[in-house]
Amino acid sequence: MIYKKLVFITVIFISLLCTSKSVAQNKVTGVVTENDGLPIPGVSVILKGTTIGVSTDFDGKYTLSEGVNQNSVIVFSYIGFKTQEILVKGQSVINVDLQEDTSVLDEVVIVGYGSQLKKDITGSVSTIDSDSFESRPNTQVGSLLQGQSAGVQVISGSGKPSGGFSVRIRGTNSINASSEPLYVVDGVPTTDTRSINPSDIDTITVLKDASSAAIYGAQGANGVVLITTKRGTTSKPKVSLDIYSGVSQVWNTLPVLNGEQYRDLMTEMGLSTDWDSFTARTDWQEEIFQNGFSQNYQASVSGKTEGTSYFISGGHLTQEGAVRTSEIERSNFKINIDQDINDWLKVGTRIAYTSYKDVDINDNNNVNQGGVLLGALTTPSIIGVYNDAGMFTSNPFQNWENPLASTDGLDREYNNNRFLGNIYLEAKFIENFKYKFNYGIDNSNGVFDSFLDPFRTGFGAAIGGQGINNTDKKSYYIVENTLSYNNSFNKHTVEALVGSVTQKFTFENSSIQTRNFASASVTTPNGGSEIFDASAWKSERANASFLSRVNYSFDDKYLLTANFRADGSSVFGPNKRWGYFPSFSLGWRVSNEKFINKDGLINDLKLRAGWGLVGNDNINAYSYLGRVGSGANYPFGGVTQPGTFPGSIENLTLKWEESEQTNIGFDLSMLNNRLSVTADAYIKKTNDLLLNAPLPTTSGFDNAIRNIGEIQNKGIELALNTVNVNSDNFSWNTGFNISFNRNEVVSLVGQELLQGGITGGRGEASLVREGEPLGTLYGYIFGGVDPASGNAYYIDNEGNSTFNPTPEDRTIIGDANPDFYYGVTNTLNYKGFGLFVFLQGSQGNDMLNVTRIETEGMIDPKNQSTAVLDRWRQPGDITDIPRASFGNSDNSRVSTRFIEDASYLRFKTITLSYDLPKNLIDKLGITALKIYGTGENIFTITDYSGFDPEVNAFGGSNTVQGIDFGTYPQTRNLIFGINATF
Amino acid sequence: MKLFKILTLGLLLTTMVGCEDFLDLQPISEETSGNAYETASQIEAALVGAYESFQSSEYYVWDYLLFQDVRSDNCYAGGDNPEVFQIDNITIPATHSRIFTHWSNLYNAISKANLVIERVSNISDPLLTEARKNQIKGEAIFLRAYHYFTLVKLWGGVPLITNTITSTDANAVNIPRATQETVYAQIIADLELAATLLPETYSNDASINKARATSGAAHALAAKAYAQQPNPDYNAVLLHIQAVETSSANYQLIVYNDLFSGNNYNNAESIIEVQYLGGNEGNYGPQLLLPPSVSGDSWRKFVTPSVDLINAFDTEGDIVRKNASILFESVQWVDEFWGNTQGSVIPFSYKWKNANGFASSDNTYLIRYGDIVLLKAEALNETNQLQAAITEVNRIRSRAELPDLTNAQSNSQQVLRETILKERRLELFQEGQRWDDLARYNALITTMNTLVEIDLRTGNQVNYNMTDAKKLLPIPQQELDRNPALTQNPL
Repeated sequence: MIYKKLVFITVIFISLLCTSKSVAQNKVTGVVTENDGLPIPGVSVILKGTTIGVSTDFDGKYTLSEGVNQNSVIVFSYIGFKTQEILVKGQSVINVDLQEDTSVLDEVVIVGYGSQLKKDITGSVSTIDSDSFESRPNTQVGSLLQGQSAGVQVISGSGKPSGGFSVRIRGTNSINASSEPLYVVDGVPTTDTRSINPSDIDTITVLKDASSAAIYGAQGANGVVLITTKRGTTSKPKVSLDIYSGVSQVWNTLPVLNGEQYRDLMTEMGLSTDWDSFTARTDWQEEIFQNGFSQNYQASVSGKTEGTSYFISGGHLTQEGAVRTSEIERSNFKINIDQDINDWLKVGTRIAYTSYKDVDINDNNNVNQGGVLLGALTTPSIIGVYNDAGMFTSNPFQNWENPLASTDGLDREYNNNRFLGNIYLEAKFIENFKYKFNYGIDNSNGVFDSFLDPFRTGFGAAIGGQGINNTDKKSYYIVENTLSYNNSFNKHTVEALVGSVTQKFTFENSSIQTRNFASASVTTPNGGSEIFDASAWKSERANASFLSRVNYSFDDKYLLTANFRADGSSVFGPNKRWGYFPSFSLGWRVSNEKFINKDGLINDLKLRAGWGLVGNDNINAYSYLGRVGSGANYPFGGVTQPGTFPGSIENLTLKWEESEQTNIGFDLSMLNNRLSVTADAYIKKTNDLLLNAPLPTTSGFDNAIRNIGEIQNKGIELALNTVNVNSDNFSWNTGFNISFNRNEVVSLVGQELLQGGITGGRGEASLVREGEPLGTLYGYIFGGVDPASGNAYYIDNEGNSTFNPTPEDRTIIGDANPDFYYGVTNTLNYKGFGLFVFLQGSQGNDMLNVTRIETEGMIDPKNQSTAVLDRWRQPGDITDIPRASFGNSDNSRVSTRFIEDASYLRFKTITLSYDLPKNLIDKLGITALKIYGTGENIFTITDYSGFDPEVNAFGGSNTVQGIDFGTYPQTRNLIFGINATF
Repeated sequence: MKLFKILTLGLLLTTMVGCEDFLDLQPISEETSGNAYETASQIEAALVGAYESFQSSEYYVWDYLLFQDVRSDNCYAGGDNPEVFQIDNITIPATHSRIFTHWSNLYNAISKANLVIERVSNISDPLLTEARKNQIKGEAIFLRAYHYFTLVKLWGGVPLITNTITSTDANAVNIPRATQETVYAQIIADLELAATLLPETYSNDASINKARATSGAAHALAAKAYAQQPNPDYNAVLLHIQAVETSSANYQLIVYNDLFSGNNYNNAESIIEVQYLGGNEGNYGPQLLLPPSVSGDSWRKFVTPSVDLINAFDTEGDIVRKNASILFESVQWVDEFWGNTQGSVIPFSYKWKNANGFASSDNTYLIRYGDIVLLKAEALNETNQLQAAITEVNRIRSRAELPDLTNAQSNSQQVLRETILKERRLELFQEGQRWDDLARYNALITTMNTLVEIDLRTGNQVNYNMTDAKKLLPIPQQELDRNPALTQNPL
């Protein structure tokens, strides 16, 4: 890496030579200010038709001293402001007051390795700026994206505070490789956004199609989310304070059998006990659900002086979940600095430090495995929390402990410290050329501590308690060198970029587990007498890339972008390491043609088309190698001997998964920019899928990673923004977006994958099959309940009724993919009052409600839902709930009986805010003061019968979707906050 | 300026050259197929890994009890697992998850053994003597035979794979089933070869001699295979048992209680047993079976001895073995066969004695001499040497403090055959033998269909509805889905 130093030194050295510029002839000087008279530094001041130009200094001053004559036209331009052209005509002092440009067309959009004006963008890109996520619970980046952008589907697998989000940009592209987009925080790529502080974010840009994401090549196949944090912009230091507190709770409980009804059911199953000794009546849902309180404090200072732009923030967030004991806590520090060293050299840094803690909840498990949500539903009400011995009570017939054993009997806490930052150097060492060096790191250290109570829990008592301490450490660095070129001549504008990128990831973890504790007061592993497990592991991976891009526009009408990137990845073998990823896109600004009347209906119309290839290498490190694992140990002579086992089959031909994407679209704004429309249609084909293809296990292996199969996603996206009313006192803006995506597994080379095993040995419920989408639900067709026997009958593959269907009778019973998903935002402002209403919905997606299988199956002594009150009890009963059948799941197979429509429309956010009048707060020395109240998930319209339709027991799985198995539900949140700027 | 550009370009090119090294990463915490089998200690580690399948395959931990003792007349499912109830009721569908688990675990174990067999001859490490090379090969061949024996008993003819799979091509992995006879032929050939390669003992340390495959173990397993195959060769059985009995390992019957006291493993009667030390080399099986007073927890335990089994002990007046094998205890749960109310006293499978929180140090006998003595009796009887057979049975009975066989128990080959089967049941309960014994004696259908077990919840007798087809397990559906060359057993 010596070359980096060389480049650095060279840059500085050569740049020094450039600083002595030619002497003035005919000078023009002046100050550039913005509306309120504040000087604007960095305004580009150019003599029109030449390449001569300067930037304003920190006081907004400029001096043009070369090539100026009477007829020179000086062009003043600055991002976010209307460009002004002024004829010199003998003036030697020209002061300019730039007007802010509210037109979206001149909005600057952060794109990969740079920024572009929105009007020049030819790919499919959407932006979300901080306005749309202010005044909302400050938790995670994922929630900021949800419903805000067409083509971006945010799937929150659960509502727990520590739960992550799964984001799919234009569908799921892969089966085994990750389908999550790449996040780039101020130039540092990452996949973990959990600890990023939303209130530090300035804008989010989503690169959706191949031509815009291709600059990220290998990592861009699933789209790219660029996160830009705030920087100082005002010469006067701006101090912001944001404080809120709130409460979250579940919005729905499910009715279960009471003690007497439970007794009836057990008696019917042939189970009896000394019922009189069970006198308790516990509402387990009431026991585990709580009002979770949250508090958030954020403070920041930003400003721009003397060539320095800074942003400093700190914050602290605590949030309790709606389920007992769940919580997160996060502290953030952020420092962003940009420093101009002189007029051609600039350095800067972005530093974020986060300390994060969470306490998770055991969900997606039945009561046998300590699942809390299902525990609350299936633990009978007739027992109390503790028994006489001080232990958690169990089901009267089985030692399934009540759900508090999981929440209170097991301490568990994850702490993570993360340092994410970069430093950069930017040198405009020669006219039109800019060199940028960027070095970024993302280091995190996590510790998971767990302690199982040795006295109060059954398993704890059996093993004498259990202390666990696991650590994980992730280190990452990226080194980027880019050289860009910008020029405009006549009607041509050219921007070109070349660069190299190297990245390295290192992971390590260690774990220790001890048992046999003498007391519950020492909870760390040193308190246990027996070391049960101790291990540590390391791995690493590396990527190297070369990138290039050309943007060309002619006459502001015809736009072209071309990318080419070569990527090398350590996960592939020496001969397949490099992948080559080109892309092209074209834009035509129809509205700039003469035949369009600029002052007419249409303000701007741009047609876009793009094609590109992007790659995916997001699989395990060393995937191509035949790996031999350690730890298959066995004792001889009373001493454990080290043993190895073959872990995988070598595959030297393993190569990049490639996704070929074509996109067409248009951007239209009309009616005086009051209506803007963006529409896109796309087709994505992912070839050579990196698939853990199942092998016959007679081979000794369960699967092998191979490049087989093809997946296609195609879809249409539409985004509308309207300014409905815009008067002095009242404004009303609406945003609407809707996305239609169709996913299809085109080829799997004849394979079928069955995944998503369902409790009670009921088999797998998720099918991956050629010709069907990922997320296909698979099972039996429920026929009904036989009035004579009370048994469920099913429809076999020949259409006949049967009580004993064979596995071949299983068929496709549902599709977890929505027909479409959508979001609507309404922003209303009246005088100081603001109302923000955000609706979000998903239509046509099916859910397999396994929670119901567990609570309506009647196969064991679990408490059941009140639905089973309608069960068959005697011959002749006509019902659709079969009889109770202890130990036999034939009456509760995975079938159409448990498939439900999980479409929903929910009022995701409603915020009412009030900006205190200026005359009032001026006296207090406050620039702006806003108070607000926000409700999230206040109201949900759905036919889904479970706790919540927005869940998936298998989280962000590519293939297993649409399964609810006692999943922590989305919660209803209310917050009240205050936002002050000084 | 030109200079700068040239420098930059030059430096960019330099990165390109450096890249291949930068990207060529080797695993840190794993070895690779290229470097894992070069030295003596590495091949020993691969062999240890092959033995480890006895601990990591759930079949050898406790599912052998489900498929041998629970599926037959010895035990009920107990516990709370619908799939275990299916095993008890002999209604095991092809989609049953446990059969797929066992199928794949057993083939994984075979692949580890195949790997050792293939790689050991190529080791050029001078530390690896020729003698040890042969032993290693013999041990791996023994392990392969052991797992094929398990497979063939459960499923009949299965794919026969004796090399390592290095390609994922369909023709390399889609292996059809071999016939039962071919699989047995391979097992016997392997064992007869292993018997020549393996030592009788490795040292004076019983915890090595009973842990590693020995020639005694190979002969004993060969004897069992010759008896179990579709056309048993009882002369061969006797020859191999003779080899066991003349081994310098000096296998002896010991006091029955000492076999299952929990602190006398690797004893003189043991031929080979699965080794556990407790802790992270612990056996989780015992916790699943042992009553609350021993296991320290209170959930419903698995593998509950049946009424029919307890009756069999009591009819025989077999106190020694009953007490060593079964513990009665009052429990807080209900049992649909023993007591449908809380507080009923029910029996527990009790040959393991220590639970230790899912990390017991109790071993599992794979083959013990007592089994071989009864097999010898069986072979003698089948070869019409009734008196010699009776002598062998009486060796077992006298150890259990039972009287010698009466004339009524031994007065014909057929009567003695049934007597030996009963004796095996009492001797080898909870040792994973019962289903195989009934199969070998062709007694599965009559035994299961005449078995009287009353479900107290309904008061009805359980109908096990045993058929010819149910003698073998269905080929796991998941494996059928993966391998089009496979055919299903009759269902």
